[in-house]
Amino acid sequence: METILKCESLCKTFGKKQILKNVSLEVKEGDILGFIGPNGAGKTTTIKLILGLQSITSGKVIINGYDIEKDFTNAIKKVGAIVENPDMYMYLSGYQNLKLVANLYKNIGTERIDEVVKLVKLEKRINDKVSKYSLGMRQRLGIAQAILHKPNLLILDEPTNGLDPEGIKEMRELLVNLAEKEKMAILISSHNLAELDNFCTKVCIIKNGEVIETSEISKIKHETSNEVEIFELDNAEKAEKILSIDLRNNKILGLEVKNSRMLKVNISKEEVPYIINKLVENNIKIYEVKQEEKTLEDAFFEKTGGNVIE
Amino acid sequence: MSNLIKNELTKIFKKKTIYITMLLIFLMIVFINCMNKYSNSSTYSAYMYSESYIESLKDELSNLNPEKPSDVTLYINLKSEIDLSNLMEKYKDSDWKLSIINDRISPYITEINTYTYGADKSEEQARKATEEMENIIAKLDENDWKYFANEDLQNANSTIEELNNQKAQTQDTEIIKGLNNEIENAKVEKEIAEYRLEKNIPYGVDYLNIALTRYQTSSETLISYDLDNKELDFEEQKEYNNALTTKEESRYIIETGTDINKSDSLKGSLQYFYSQYGVFIIVVIIMIAGTIVSEEWSKGTIKLLLVKPYTRTQILLSKFLTVLIISAFVIVSTILMQILVGGILFGFGSIFEPVVVYNLSANAIQEINIFAYLGIQTLTQLPIIILLATLAFAISTIFSNSALAITISLLGYMGASIINQLAIAYKLTFMKYFVTMNWDLSQYLFGGLPYMEGMNLITSIIICVVYLLIMLIPTFIIFKKRNIKNI
Repeated sequence: METILKCESLCKTFGKKQILKNVSLEVKEGDILGFIGPNGAGKTTTIKLILGLQSITSGKVIINGYDIEKDFTNAIKKVGAIVENPDMYMYLSGYQNLKLVANLYKNIGTERIDEVVKLVKLEKRINDKVSKYSLGMRQRLGIAQAILHKPNLLILDEPTNGLDPEGIKEMRELLVNLAEKEKMAILISSHNLAELDNFCTKVCIIKNGEVIETSEISKIKHETSNEVEIFELDNAEKAEKILSIDLRNNKILGLEVKNSRMLKVNISKEEVPYIINKLVENNIKIYEVKQEEKTLEDAFFEKTGGNVIE
Repeated sequence: MSNLIKNELTKIFKKKTIYITMLLIFLMIVFINCMNKYSNSSTYSAYMYSESYIESLKDELSNLNPEKPSDVTLYINLKSEIDLSNLMEKYKDSDWKLSIINDRISPYITEINTYTYGADKSEEQARKATEEMENIIAKLDENDWKYFANEDLQNANSTIEELNNQKAQTQDTEIIKGLNNEIENAKVEKEIAEYRLEKNIPYGVDYLNIALTRYQTSSETLISYDLDNKELDFEEQKEYNNALTTKEESRYIIETGTDINKSDSLKGSLQYFYSQYGVFIIVVIIMIAGTIVSEEWSKGTIKLLLVKPYTRTQILLSKFLTVLIISAFVIVSTILMQILVGGILFGFGSIFEPVVVYNLSANAIQEINIFAYLGIQTLTQLPIIILLATLAFAISTIFSNSALAITISLLGYMGASIINQLAIAYKLTFMKYFVTMNWDLSQYLFGGLPYMEGMNLITSIIICVVYLLIMLIPTFIIFKKRNIKNI
């Protein structure tokens, strides 16, 4: 698979403050890279460097083989983007906004505009002034203008802001579709981890201007050795009392009563038969034992150690 | 690039601002044209007394005692004025009679009152003055203004004869010089009397009489310079040129009988287009130039524009060219609105009348088609318009602040004439390289002398271009380097 976007050890300083330290990342065609970090970590700055909106202190951005600083027009040609907010000309209609964008590229006819409008489901309101749009509709219009010229790299900064759950689901489907069918490379930044779960193919975690993790999404979740098992029992409180002895001798790392029938136990896999045995010996009925899948969010907080802006 | 400009124009023409400002200009045009029409159409008369004014004079007079030495001067003045007004009241339907009364009878009225009430009373003198006055009044009643013109002519002839006699009797060069001056002035008076008779111009206060007066005063100025026969310095040359222009333009008015300075006609309103509407045009252009870049910053839409496959130089250049296109649009549409409004109010006929100017370099009167004239005027005003638009554009790009850009540019425009006047008044010669002294090229039109000695058209144009580049180059460099921070 071809690499579309490549950032090589990007650094950015404003005055004495270093905003980015050696940020490197790569997006290949068909990839959806989730760019995750707490507020102020440098997500938007990185995106601005990639798009040539800010000068690069050191490092390189290569898009489709062109250096963004040396050959801006060629590098940006096949890039679509929303930065920060979907800022549109409020006094124009959605359609007029798209027309303005279409004018700046070759060969975008009215059919393509109509097609994109349908894709983002704005057909009914496209001739209304953007000032009458909700934030969610503006997000969709933002995506429409970003994909109008069929870019092979799509960069979206917090695109789910203002979308309702259904809108988020639709956008997720749209982006997956673009990545799979059009082989688009997508970089999507967010602090809303739950939305990126199950939909990004890769994740890049940034904190305090440094990339602290880049990997396949499945890897992140299964990396840590301790797992959480959920026991369905007839008496969770009693079971907790029995097992609390093991908490003290470190066989069990965590215990939590979810409700009268559910008990969450944090243990390594090897200890599961021991726990079952012990509970059976104490006449506790076990209906089910299942592994709890770790969410991206858990992985995220494990990596970043909480949301601290410095 | 052309697509970028097309988009910029779309953005401007889809906004309400431009329509609101053009509507304001339209209302201004209607207002100014109505003012021109209705303030000038009330017939202007030489009779200048109102009843209440005369009443107040009479009141004041009744409080004074002519026997008291402290009151007597004021008493004579008031009495004379009242007598004059009584006489004028009688003849107030005829402008030429009023003029004669004003010019020739009023000295007699004062004389009569002085001899009747003044310190050295003389019945004899008063009676003589009264006789003279009554002679003139008798002529007024004959309804023949030409009598007075012929009298003027005769007086001028006899003055010339007498002065020539005096000249023949003396050897003193200083005296001869003085006499020559007087002879030439008398010749001008003769010329005026002849014009009056030949062109059938009764006395009065209309444009023909104004032209005659201006002809006389400007001729006198020229005569004194010609007789001095010395090298003129810059200021004197300027005064000389002004007098020459006035004289030749007045001569044209007298000889053809057309009022070339008439402002209450379509032609007139177009002739003085920039002095009436220049400020509105500039305000609108500054407003657009001062917002075209900074508004994209404040609304955040600049990011949309900068991630398109165009360099920042192309994007800024397209915006600058858009400002120039809009400027042309504003100028042309204001002219069209003036033609429409002026045509409806004054009739379209005068559009075929030429603008008449005296060309100092060709030493001849020039008749110019009104549209050609308007074109020439536009060219001379272009530096002002472009430089102010560029100033607003540069400030709004560098500081992303529309209010600052518009305010500074407007202050610059308003301050320019003050700066120029100060520079000229205090002869600050270094100021001839300053932009405001050079940006109005109309100073060079028709062989005119510039504001200051040593300036010329070519250097003025070069100075304007240099100032343009001084503003544009940093603007483009800063825009190119600029970081897009959080908006």
